[in-house]
Amino acid sequence: MDAEERIQAASKFLLQSPPGEINDVLNDVRNIISDDESLQAGVLPALREYNLAQFITADVPGHQHQSIVSEAARIPSGSADEDDEQSQDRYWDPRSRTSFRFDHLSLETSDPEHVEPDPESEPFRAALETASLTYLSSHYHDGVVSVFSTPGSASRYIIQIVANKYNPSNYWSGRWRSEYIVDTDAKQLTGKILLNVHYYEQGNVQLSTTHNVSLSLPPAIAASGGASAASKVLALIETEEGKYQSSLNDTYAEMGEKTFKGLRRALPMTRSKLDWDRVLGYKLGAELTNSKGVFGSA
Amino acid sequence: MGDLVDSMLDLMRRLPPTHVEENVASLVAMCPDYADDLLGSVDQPLKVMTDRATGKEYLACDYNRDGDSYRSPWSNEYDPPLEDGTTPSPKLRKLEIQANEAFDTYREMYYEGGVSSVFLWDLDDGGFAGVVLLKKTLNPSAPGEPSGSWDSIHVFEAAERGRQAHYKLTSTIMLQMVDRSTAARGSKDDSAAAGTKSPGAAAAGEKANGGDAKREGEVTLSGSMTRQTEQDFPLQDPSSHIANTGRMIEEMEIKMRNLLQEVYFGKTRDVVFDLRSLDDLEKARRQRELQKELVGFIKR
Repeated sequence: MDAEERIQAASKFLLQSPPGEINDVLNDVRNIISDDESLQAGVLPALREYNLAQFITADVPGHQHQSIVSEAARIPSGSADEDDEQSQDRYWDPRSRTSFRFDHLSLETSDPEHVEPDPESEPFRAALETASLTYLSSHYHDGVVSVFSTPGSASRYIIQIVANKYNPSNYWSGRWRSEYIVDTDAKQLTGKILLNVHYYEQGNVQLSTTHNVSLSLPPAIAASGGASAASKVLALIETEEGKYQSSLNDTYAEMGEKTFKGLRRALPMTRSKLDWDRVLGYKLGAELTNSKGVFGSA
Repeated sequence: MGDLVDSMLDLMRRLPPTHVEENVASLVAMCPDYADDLLGSVDQPLKVMTDRATGKEYLACDYNRDGDSYRSPWSNEYDPPLEDGTTPSPKLRKLEIQANEAFDTYREMYYEGGVSSVFLWDLDDGGFAGVVLLKKTLNPSAPGEPSGSWDSIHVFEAAERGRQAHYKLTSTIMLQMVDRSTAARGSKDDSAAAGTKSPGAAAAGEKANGGDAKREGEVTLSGSMTRQTEQDFPLQDPSSHIANTGRMIEEMEIKMRNLLQEVYFGKTRDVVFDLRSLDDLEKARRQRELQKELVGFIKR
């Protein structure tokens, strides 16, 4: 493998990091590649891709809350050069009307600027945000939600939720990500839920789930519908997420009872452990009665 | 650099268990000098091979590998064939044959199917070592049912001490289950609520909710756990080794099966419910506040 291939392999590892463990993976990779300079520059695109996909949260400069740094939050710099574009990335927190630079390695924000919201989409976006914040505190112990409007559209909104729990001293971590695209013109709600859990005490056990849902919005829900329409959207999301969580419970029950038992029984049908002396004796007996006989064979 | 191998092993404990083979291959390509160290320390899912001589299936892993060939425990031959492949001494081979037969019975009693293989090798200090392999795969019998696979790798060392033997055992169990029936279950709930029947709603992406909602998804639980133990057993004759390691491995599998059950279906599920609450937390908070107020009111 040449240097470039090794960086690519390292990038692939980073993209597979379990929740809250990217630094551990990065340290392992540094040890394995032992060329910090080229590694740092080479894996920055992977770190960026990982952060955006995993809904990394940032402390919004000058405010007390966090916002999600994702593709939906990105404000393209308009630069023609891709590398330049990536390093000049700014991200937007609609809640505080601020945009900022985000360092994908140090996870620090900088260079805040005021962003004037689009007057057409802002009323419904703000209504969705208020309803989302209420929804968040009703169901998430430690979550962050961001609601984005789509530039140039007054009918397309994106609600993103992320909730993390890291417990390295007990060797586990978990992340819940949801994303919902609300289209008030097409009257469509498209969502996805992604779960990742890692347990690593004397082992490596991971839960990985994906869920995609697409349903129609009641005709009453329009971008002009304000707070009441926004609440209805969040009620739909609440029902869908609750349904999903319950069905997960059912999946766990089925896997634990049927599949697990189908792979290996807790005990043989005799309901007792194997009689090993008999097992060895039985085989010997079978050999003796077998016509291919083992009389005095070595 | 033991440090390098430690980092590789730490990495393998964090990366998704569903991608063990590709990730190990990448690491081997990145650091070819450490390939042997890595392959000997990371457990990968066992491959099933068929013995050309007998048609019987056996399992392939690093312990019965010589170069790119694997030795069958039934015929004792390598596939692809090797002129000078490593084989156990004749005395040990006899024990190996017996062990394979005994564990074949064990396999049938607990796994009701699957494949087993035992490989033994002599150690320089006079004792011997071995690995007991078991693998069972479940393919869904109906669409919408979970699929799964179980791989056991039990590596042991036996040291004879007169009429006793001392055994060291390191056991790894790899377990994976995949369920793609979220759609079916969701549909059943909807149709049950709507009071309509929804036959054959097992396919992913099935329409439900009055033909309105589309849902599809996948749940994957995968991974491995490792435990170690040491024990002394009496030694009457050479085949005592088989009964001794048999009992040790059986006990270990029982313990680990319980552990896997706790972690897979208990712990990971608990983390999900730690992330999001099914019940409304605000309602619960308001109720507690109300209760406090009432208590305060009653006390006055």
